[in-house]
Amino acid sequence: MKEKFEVKELINVGVFTALYFVVVFVTCFIGMVPICMVLIPLIIPIVAGIPLMLFFSKIKRFGMFTISGVLFGLIMFLLGSYSWVIILTCVVSAFLADLVLMSGKYSSVKCCVAASSVYSLWGIGTFISLFFGFREEYLNSIVDGYGQEYVDKLASYTPAWMFFVMAAMCLVGGFIGGVLGTKVLNKHFRKAGMA
Amino acid sequence: MQVGFQGNTKNTVFDPDPRAKLAMLLAVNIIMISGGSAGVELVLRIICAALPFVLLVSVRHYRTAVIYLAAMGAAVFGESCILPHTSGIAGILVLIPCGILTRFMAGYMMCWYTVRSISVSEFVTAMEKMHVPYFITIPMSVMFRYFPTLGEEYHAVSDAMKMRQIGRTVKDPLTYIEYVLVPIMMSTVRIADELSAASLTKGLSAGGRRTHICEIKLTLADLFIIAGSAVMIVLFFVY
Repeated sequence: MKEKFEVKELINVGVFTALYFVVVFVTCFIGMVPICMVLIPLIIPIVAGIPLMLFFSKIKRFGMFTISGVLFGLIMFLLGSYSWVIILTCVVSAFLADLVLMSGKYSSVKCCVAASSVYSLWGIGTFISLFFGFREEYLNSIVDGYGQEYVDKLASYTPAWMFFVMAAMCLVGGFIGGVLGTKVLNKHFRKAGMA
Repeated sequence: MQVGFQGNTKNTVFDPDPRAKLAMLLAVNIIMISGGSAGVELVLRIICAALPFVLLVSVRHYRTAVIYLAAMGAAVFGESCILPHTSGIAGILVLIPCGILTRFMAGYMMCWYTVRSISVSEFVTAMEKMHVPYFITIPMSVMFRYFPTLGEEYHAVSDAMKMRQIGRTVKDPLTYIEYVLVPIMMSTVRIADELSAASLTKGLSAGGRRTHICEIKLTLADLFIIAGSAVMIVLFFVY
């Protein structure tokens, strides 16, 4: 951390964070249908894990991925219609993923898959407003815009234990995404010398 | 059409400081995304919905501004006049597109305006004046510059797929994702390399204090805008 970041690394961070965000965002649109909203924590990390693994293969230094998490959190907050909690979960999960990557010395494929799984926990920030102390307030706040019918449907899909199921879905999705990403890297990028 | 960070400010009627633009962006996004429509909130939402229109006109993008206004009007009309008379599936079919449009469109138009009207050097200077560290500023400017490029890359990929007649005929979603994502990832790696080569020629990695050609100054109007945005956000959270 003491040495300065190289500009090349920072550019990689910017470019890959943008790619990651766009992939997440496009996948997110499936989530406007009430039932898919519950499955979304599983689907997003699977798709987004593919570019994420390519990003991991470019990371060689502690801190790079944490920066990416900060940027991703900020942009999700701005464009993703979530509460400020999303920034917190993004930063924390990116930091943890960074630690996992470091434990594999930034080259172990297993650690990359594990980091993809850990990083996917940022998804908690997108649905935490449905649970715990935030629940009533959140449901009341969207009755106005979406109507009672939608809210009732949403509430019936999300009892309290769903939180842990959804968090687990994030982890599993991130894992599957990591494995898929590794396959894609091996198939398309290693031979070309790009990963 | 040119997209992305543009330094073309001569063409504008009114060009606020980048920091003022960012403040407005923040206010519009925070206020529009929650869907409330009562009392003070309604007034705030109307202001925020009108803001992108005014700003788009100020940079002479009349067509975009009119399209924005029409789509916004249609969505609000759908939400307030059609929705109460529908129920069940029809209700959801009206609700979802209208809900997305009323919540997100103003924010997107603001983002589009902000990204288009701030040049990279203006953005970097403004961030430096706000004492944001370089390891946030550089990735951020790269990121915003890269979004429009990603759109272009996607069009190139889908054109190539159409030419080989594999566009929408791919049934397996994973295969489709692979077909689209892998070329984009390839070009992402290439573009990152090219950008870092470009930054090398600009001496970005040389260290030392960088000087700026563009002048960034907060005028009275900018201060007014920033204060206005802050007041709107505070009002929004209090009520």
